[in-house]
Amino acid sequence: MSTVTLYSVSYDLAHDLLFLLGWILHYGPAAAAVENPNVVTGLGVLIFAAILLAASMLNTIVLIWYERKLLGRFMDRRGAMHVGYAGLLQNFADGLKLFRKHTTQPAEADHVGFYFGPTAYMVSSLVIFGILPISTGWNSGALPLSLLLALVVFSFAPLFIFVSAWSSNNKYSLMGGLRSAAQMIAYEVPLLLAVVAVVVVAGSFSLTTIVYEQQNYWFWGPLVVALVVFVAAMLAEMERIPFDLPEAEAELVEGWNTEYGGMLFAFFMLADYLRALVGSILIVLLFLGGWTMPGWVPSAATSFPLAGIFWFMLKTYLVFGLFVWVRASLPRVRTDQLLRVGWNRLIPLSLLSVFLAAALVSVRCLPVFGCVPSPGG
Amino acid sequence: MTDGTAGTAATQAPEENPVLYVARPMATAARQFVKSLVRPSTIVYPYERLEDPRFRGEVAVASGKPIGVGAVWDNYRGVHALNIATCISCNLCAFSCPDLCIEMVTVPGGDPKHPKKCPQIDYGKCSYCGFCSDACPEGCLTMTTRYELSTPKRSEMVYSPQKLNEVFRSKLPMNPIRLERPENEDRILLDPPLCIGCNACARDCPTACITMLDVPKPEGKPGAKLPKRIWKEPVVNDSDCVRCGTCISVCPKECLFWGSRP
Repeated sequence: MSTVTLYSVSYDLAHDLLFLLGWILHYGPAAAAVENPNVVTGLGVLIFAAILLAASMLNTIVLIWYERKLLGRFMDRRGAMHVGYAGLLQNFADGLKLFRKHTTQPAEADHVGFYFGPTAYMVSSLVIFGILPISTGWNSGALPLSLLLALVVFSFAPLFIFVSAWSSNNKYSLMGGLRSAAQMIAYEVPLLLAVVAVVVVAGSFSLTTIVYEQQNYWFWGPLVVALVVFVAAMLAEMERIPFDLPEAEAELVEGWNTEYGGMLFAFFMLADYLRALVGSILIVLLFLGGWTMPGWVPSAATSFPLAGIFWFMLKTYLVFGLFVWVRASLPRVRTDQLLRVGWNRLIPLSLLSVFLAAALVSVRCLPVFGCVPSPGG
Repeated sequence: MTDGTAGTAATQAPEENPVLYVARPMATAARQFVKSLVRPSTIVYPYERLEDPRFRGEVAVASGKPIGVGAVWDNYRGVHALNIATCISCNLCAFSCPDLCIEMVTVPGGDPKHPKKCPQIDYGKCSYCGFCSDACPEGCLTMTTRYELSTPKRSEMVYSPQKLNEVFRSKLPMNPIRLERPENEDRILLDPPLCIGCNACARDCPTACITMLDVPKPEGKPGAKLPKRIWKEPVVNDSDCVRCGTCISVCPKECLFWGSRP
């Protein structure tokens, strides 16, 4: 199964489809046109993008269901349970409802910004999902700097949120947008410094290489400080409780998406959870070994078809479960507390983690150098 | 350090230690999560009911007794049950209703001259206070444990006496709400000079506790003007009287009134 990749699957599908079309067209000049290699490649790329889009949307919606069910148990109740098996189709129904709804634009709102904000937020979140490798076959963005690219696209969000908040012509939206911008910019720094620690140890900006470096040991053990900083900063970047100040429904009605309804609100909602998914995936990629499994797991569990994707998504959902756990436990912090934690605690900690990573590499005291052999994360 | 200033670990504010500040609520949430993995406290109502035998002993009523199959909650007030056979048409339920949702309607099977009237309840207005059940002197209007009354039609929320009688016949657990009556309850008194002996009170008394007794015709001087009346006066049997006040309502001369005189 190692030769089958996502791209080869979509390319083969495009080739077969166009061959079928040519057979229907009876080998005429039209058939020759559709069997042009450029056409096949183009359709293959389109199918590839469609698979990525479907996978990201499906995972996002299932993630919402997963959060509702988990949060229900944390609160001694059951969450969604009526539509579909255990409420699995509830969010699809909600999405359909939002899709059918009319979008109301407030008076004197900026038309371009009002529509550009959510759309760009959604699209930029989707782009990150396209960059991330999920398994050896699902490795679309095998770029040498894919980690950097993912983080750059990830940090576009405050701009789009602020544009949509400002153009809503609503004071709550504007305050939420300001808070969001302040929070995201403050937490970019520790986030990137924690990533630097990983990059120092792995010696590469390529996510694929970082995962391959974790074949024998996962990074969360030696880089536990960086992991803590990364999880905390990621919580703030995803604007989840306890760092959901920009939405703070008790103070600002719904924060920067107060004025949004219908499909534009669905864009925000989906993009939020898409970013939560991306955050969980990044944690799995950087610290939890990606699609690799520790050596003590029997090979039967790691070698079946699509095993990489299975283990990867399992880890991702467990990491997201941690976020839900935090959401169920902690109250929202104040703005001053948020910024104090970010600048006074997380940045020194992340600098410490960079220092520790550099020390580990320079004294070569890592399992990869044969110092402390410890199989598996 | 003196005793007053030294604080133990238990009395310190959780904000003092940032690790504890995060770890303590997360431990609480994890404990709750593990506990509700087996079964959350929610009783999934349309599929499960509080009165199911599986919840016996789990859910206690106010008095501490467990709810069992068919058991009556303490003072539970659901849909009414009406025993038409024992209803005496005294109107007390309709009088006592604070929402004016009870209307006395004619039911078949009465004297054609004096038709029998029984309560008809509009559950769109009813607030389930139980005053009617308390007021009912015969105990024929009680409240049951049935609580599922939702219907798609507003007209179906009006329960006729026959429908209430069906609830009675379905042998649901009933909760007769009957508060203690005061010792010196007011009784029906008569202002004799005003009475004209018309028999209206005795005729309409639902419990037939009023009897018209002869009063002696005064022996005035011949030619003196005597009031034009029937020389009878109502006498109320207090032990049978249910204090419905029908006699007061029907009296044309307003000679009956409430009072505590023995």
